Amino acid sequence: MKNLANIFKAKKLIKISMSYDDKKNVIGSIKITGDFFIHPEETLESLEANLIDTKLERNEISKKVEESLKNSEAFGFDVNSMTDAIMGCLKNE
Amino acid sequence: MNRFEFTKIRVLETGHNSGSWNMALDEVLMNGVGDTPILKIYGWKPSCVSIGYFQSMNEEVNVEKCKQVGIDCVRRITGGGAVFHESELTYSFISRNYPQSIMQSYEMVCEMLILTLKKLGFDAKFSPLNDIIVGGRKVCGNAQTRKNGVMLQHGTMLLGVDVEKMFSLLKVPKEKISDKAIEDVKQRVFGIGKKFDLVANTLKDSASETFSADLSLENITQEEAAATEVLDLEKYASKEWNFKR
Repeated sequence: MKNLANIFKAKKLIKISMSYDDKKNVIGSIKITGDFFIHPEETLESLEANLIDTKLERNEISKKVEESLKNSEAFGFDVNSMTDAIMGCLKNE
Repeated sequence: MNRFEFTKIRVLETGHNSGSWNMALDEVLMNGVGDTPILKIYGWKPSCVSIGYFQSMNEEVNVEKCKQVGIDCVRRITGGGAVFHESELTYSFISRNYPQSIMQSYEMVCEMLILTLKKLGFDAKFSPLNDIIVGGRKVCGNAQTRKNGVMLQHGTMLLGVDVEKMFSLLKVPKEKISDKAIEDVKQRVFGIGKKFDLVANTLKDSASETFSADLSLENITQEEAAATEVLDLEKYASKEWNFKR
């Protein structure tokens, strides 16, 4: 497992830290923090849980983010920028 | 006139209290509010840094420095950024009746704040999603949550600004702690320079006018006080809550 991190400026700041299994190319665990808003707030915990064991590939991540946010309202980021923030961890590997 | 009208608003002026107590009372009021909305007006003693629900205390706040100088740190139940609460008036507005659109509900509550600022002589405007500006500078930041059919919006009206002190308490990247960066922040925020009591009284008048409501000036009940004490200790003063991210 490797520890990866990224700070991404969407409309608000998104900070990602994750453990990453580079042999299987999957997320082991992930923490997403920032000054954004999500209603309901518990959506973020669901998103983090849903991302565990997901391949760190753009389409896979985007699908999980979209599914997790579908019954919520987010301000300060969208599906694309959250996906960019997560995928950006690879640049900092 | 606001599209939303209330027969009565329950007004609570709870004085200056710790960050964890202030946040605990917000949650207690949210859990217990009936058909009458609540306007709570308050301050912070000691001064406090609050962080947004999704932020990390260790990433955002110089916790050691806050401890050294006796400043509280607390996580809010609302999103948004870290705020240094010192020279300001803080309000919470809690209601079961509100527009379902998040933007419209911010506008609804902010209308009362804009009227307050206008009465105090400032040309204030709503700046979506959640700010109020005067002359292009932020004077009031707001944050909202909704739980079990209740909306809570809380926010601050800046009376004064001490950017240097704020920077010393937040984890601002070193390259940003320059004279220019401090000057930039000073240009982006605005303290109205009025006394707390004057702003509080003007806010009460504005709430009544905005929502065509009578005001019921009350104290928190013994039950609310007791529930707040418990929630303060068990949740908002706990490491588990404040360092959960």
